[in-house]
Amino acid sequence: MLEDVAASASTGAFPTQGQRLWRALRQLYAQSPSAFGTTVFMLFLLIALLGPWFAPYGSNQQIVADARQAPTAVHWFGTDNLGRDVFSRVVLGARDILSLAGLGTLVAVALGTSLGLISGYLGRFFDEALMRFFDSLLAMPALLLALLLLGTLGPSRNSVLMVIVVVYTPIVARVVRSVVLTVKSKAFVEAARVQGESLAAILFREILPSTLPALAVEASLRFSYAIFLVASLGFLGVGVQPPSPDWGLMVKEARSYVDQAPWALYFPAGAIALAVIGVNLMSDGLKRVLQAEG
Amino acid sequence: MNRLSTRLVVRTLGLSLLTAAFLLSACGGAASPVPSQPPAGTGAPAASMSGGTLNVAVKAIVNVDPAQISADSEILVANAVYDYLVDVDANNKIQPRLATDWTVSDDGLTYTFNLTHDASFHDGTPLTAKDVVYTFNRLRDPDLGFATVDLYSNISDIQADGDYSVVFTLKTTNPFFLFDLSDNHALVVKDGTTDFTDFNGSGPFTVVSYTPEDRIEMDASSGYFQSGSPKLAHLNIVFFQDTSAAVDALRSGDVDAVFGLSAPQYKSLQAEAGVQTYLTSTNAFPVVRLRADQPPGDDPRVIKAMRMAIDRQAIFDLVQQGLGAIGRDTPIGPMYQDFYAEDIPLPQHDVAGAKKLLADAGYPNGLDLTLRVPDAQNFPDLAAVLKSQLAEAGFNVEISVEPENVYYGNNGWLEAPFGITGWGSRPYPQFYMDVMLTCGAKWNESHFCDQEFDRQAEIAGTSLDPAAQAAAYHEIQKILIERGPIIVPFFFPQLAATTDQVQDFNLKPFFGRTDFRTVTVSQ
Repeated sequence: MLEDVAASASTGAFPTQGQRLWRALRQLYAQSPSAFGTTVFMLFLLIALLGPWFAPYGSNQQIVADARQAPTAVHWFGTDNLGRDVFSRVVLGARDILSLAGLGTLVAVALGTSLGLISGYLGRFFDEALMRFFDSLLAMPALLLALLLLGTLGPSRNSVLMVIVVVYTPIVARVVRSVVLTVKSKAFVEAARVQGESLAAILFREILPSTLPALAVEASLRFSYAIFLVASLGFLGVGVQPPSPDWGLMVKEARSYVDQAPWALYFPAGAIALAVIGVNLMSDGLKRVLQAEG
Repeated sequence: MNRLSTRLVVRTLGLSLLTAAFLLSACGGAASPVPSQPPAGTGAPAASMSGGTLNVAVKAIVNVDPAQISADSEILVANAVYDYLVDVDANNKIQPRLATDWTVSDDGLTYTFNLTHDASFHDGTPLTAKDVVYTFNRLRDPDLGFATVDLYSNISDIQADGDYSVVFTLKTTNPFFLFDLSDNHALVVKDGTTDFTDFNGSGPFTVVSYTPEDRIEMDASSGYFQSGSPKLAHLNIVFFQDTSAAVDALRSGDVDAVFGLSAPQYKSLQAEAGVQTYLTSTNAFPVVRLRADQPPGDDPRVIKAMRMAIDRQAIFDLVQQGLGAIGRDTPIGPMYQDFYAEDIPLPQHDVAGAKKLLADAGYPNGLDLTLRVPDAQNFPDLAAVLKSQLAEAGFNVEISVEPENVYYGNNGWLEAPFGITGWGSRPYPQFYMDVMLTCGAKWNESHFCDQEFDRQAEIAGTSLDPAAQAAAYHEIQKILIERGPIIVPFFFPQLAATTDQVQDFNLKPFFGRTDFRTVTVSQ
C-alpha cells in the first residue's frame, strides 16, 4: 500500500500538495488528542516566532525591587530570584528551545535518512558496518551519550545541536533502513534499476517517497524528544549557558530557591511538559492520518 | 480499544510519567515540607539538660587523617574526635583548649605552652607534650608534604619541656602564630600514629561506628579533660550529599542541625515554626578577577570601569538576599574589625563614567569578555547580574558555567583571563596577601604584582605592633581599591538551622569548627 501512495505521489495523479495538507490538518483535528497536540504545537510555534514582540520584559532585565514576586497582573508568571519576569523568559525561551530542537532534528533526519537509504539499499558490508556502529551508539542511554559528548565539546549552543544530531541520527537511519529493505525488491525499484537510473535517482526519487510516512512520524517524535533532551541538558547545566532563558536552565536555577518562589520553577517546567506532550500527541495523530491515507 | 489508541495511551502515559519524573527531580527538596514537631515544652528547657542525642547533617567525609582533611564535614568530625592546642571562638578570638596557658618571649620568637594534665586519648593513653611535638613535626615535614608545610615553615624547632610543656621557636616574628597553631589540620594526634582509621583522639566524643557515605555515630567521651563537657550523650553525623535533602530531613525531624545553607534556604527556614536559624559573619567571598598581566586587564582603567559600572547594593540584594556584608574589592572584610577600613572611598556607581573610562582605555566600542564561572554556590546568579550591569557600560560578557572540577582542575583557574573564584574564610587576613596577591604567590590567579603592595604585606605579616599592622592593612586596602585586579562584591555569611530543641549552639565562620561541647538537646 505504501508504494502505491509513493508511486501515485510521484506521478502527480493525486490532489495537490496544498489540498493534501489541508486534508491532513482536518484529519488531525478529527480526534481530540491530536487536535489538542496540534493546537499546542501551533501555539508554541507562534510564541517562538512572535515572542520578542509581546514579551513585556527583556529576558535578562533585572528589577531589583520585584525579586521573587508571586504572579500578579504585572508579572503574570511572577518573578525569579534576580527580579526577572518569568512570563517573558518562558516566552522568549520558546524560540531558543524550539529552534535548537527543531534544527537538531532536521539535521538528524536529513543525515539519518541519507544514511538509512544508502545503507539499506547497498546492504552488504557498508550496511553491516554502519548498523553495528549505530548499534553501539544506541546501546548507550541518550543522556549519557549527550553528557559524554558535551564533556569533550564543552557546553554551548552548537554542542547541544551536535549532541541532538549524534543521538538521533542512528534512530532515524534505522527506521528509514527498515522501510528501504521492504521496498528495494519491489517492481518499480527493479524497473528503475533496469532503466539504468543513477544511484541517487533510485534512492531519492524512487525509494524516498515510500519512507515519507514513517519518516514524518519519526521526525515529529524525535522533535518532541529533542525538546526534552535540550531541556534536560539545560537542567543539568551542561547545555545552553546562563543567562539564556532556556527552560531547563530556568528549572535548574529555580530549584535552589523553590521554597521562596515556586512559580519560577513551575512555569518553565510546565512549558517543557506541555510542549513535549503536545508534539507527541500531534505525532500520533500524524501517524493515524498517514496510515489512513495508505 | 483498538491497537493504535492503546499505543497512544501507553505512549502518552509514558511521556507524562517522564515529564513528571523530570518535574519531580527538578523539585528535589521541594516536596511539601513535613511540619516539624512542636518543641517539647515552650518555656524554659527541662532541668536535666545533660544527655540527649544530636543528629547533624553534613556532606559525606572522605579523609580521616587530620593532616589531610579539607571539607567542612571532615573538619567537623575531626573537631569532635580530637582537640586543638588552642581554639578560635565564634568572635574570632584565641581560646585555650589542650593548652591551658602560654607565654611569648620578648622578641616574639619563642612560645611556651602549658598543657592540661587531664587529657587522654580514647585508648586510655595520657596526652603529653611528646604527642604535641609529634603532631606539629608531622604537619611541617616536607617529606610528608601535607598542605600545612608552608604554613609552618617559619617554625625552626619544637621541643617538649617535661611531660606537660611544649616550646615552639620561630625563625621570624609572626603576629598570627596562635591562629596558625589553630589551623584546621592542627589536631593533636597520638605520638607515632600513622593510621587514623580508629579515630583515637583525645576529643569530647569517641567514635562508636563509622559507615562510609552513611553516618558516624559517637558517644560522649567519659574521660574528657574538661569536667561537665560534653553535655550531649550522643553525637551522630549523618551524611547527605545534597543540602536541600538535609533541609527536608531537618523539617521532618530526622536530623537536628543543618549547616551550609544557601540564602534562599535560610530565608524560608526562618519563617518556619520549630526551627531556629543561625547566621555568623565570615570572611568567605567570591572574587571576580581580571588578569592583570595581559590585555585588557593590564590597564587598571578597565577593572576600574567595572567597579564603576556595578551596583553593589543591587548585587547584594539580588544574589545574597541581603545576607552577609557588601564587599569593597579587597579580601579584608568587616570580620577583621581593626584591620578593616571602611572609610577609604570606593569609586562611585557611575555608568556613564565607566563607559568613558573604558573608551579612554582603548575600548570605545565596548569590550567582549568571557566570564568563567564554577557551578558552585550562587556564582551563576552573580555572573548573570554582573553581565546585565556591566552591559550598560559597554562590557559584553559571555558566561561560561563549568563544573567545579573543570574550573579548578589542572590549575586551570589560575590561567583563566576573567573568572569568578570562591575563597574561604580565614581567622586573619594575612593568608590572602601571602597566597593570592603578592608577586608570584602560589594562587595569584589575577597575576597581580605591585611592589608597594608587597612591602605593606610584609609589614602586616611580621609586625608585632598592632597599630603598625592595622596601618599596613589600611594601606593595602587603599592600593587594592585604587589599582587592584579584583572585585569582591560581597562576603558570605555562614548559615545554619537547628530544631527548637537544640540549645547553646554557637555557629562559627568555618562551620566545621563549630563546638559541640556546649550543645544540649532537650528531649
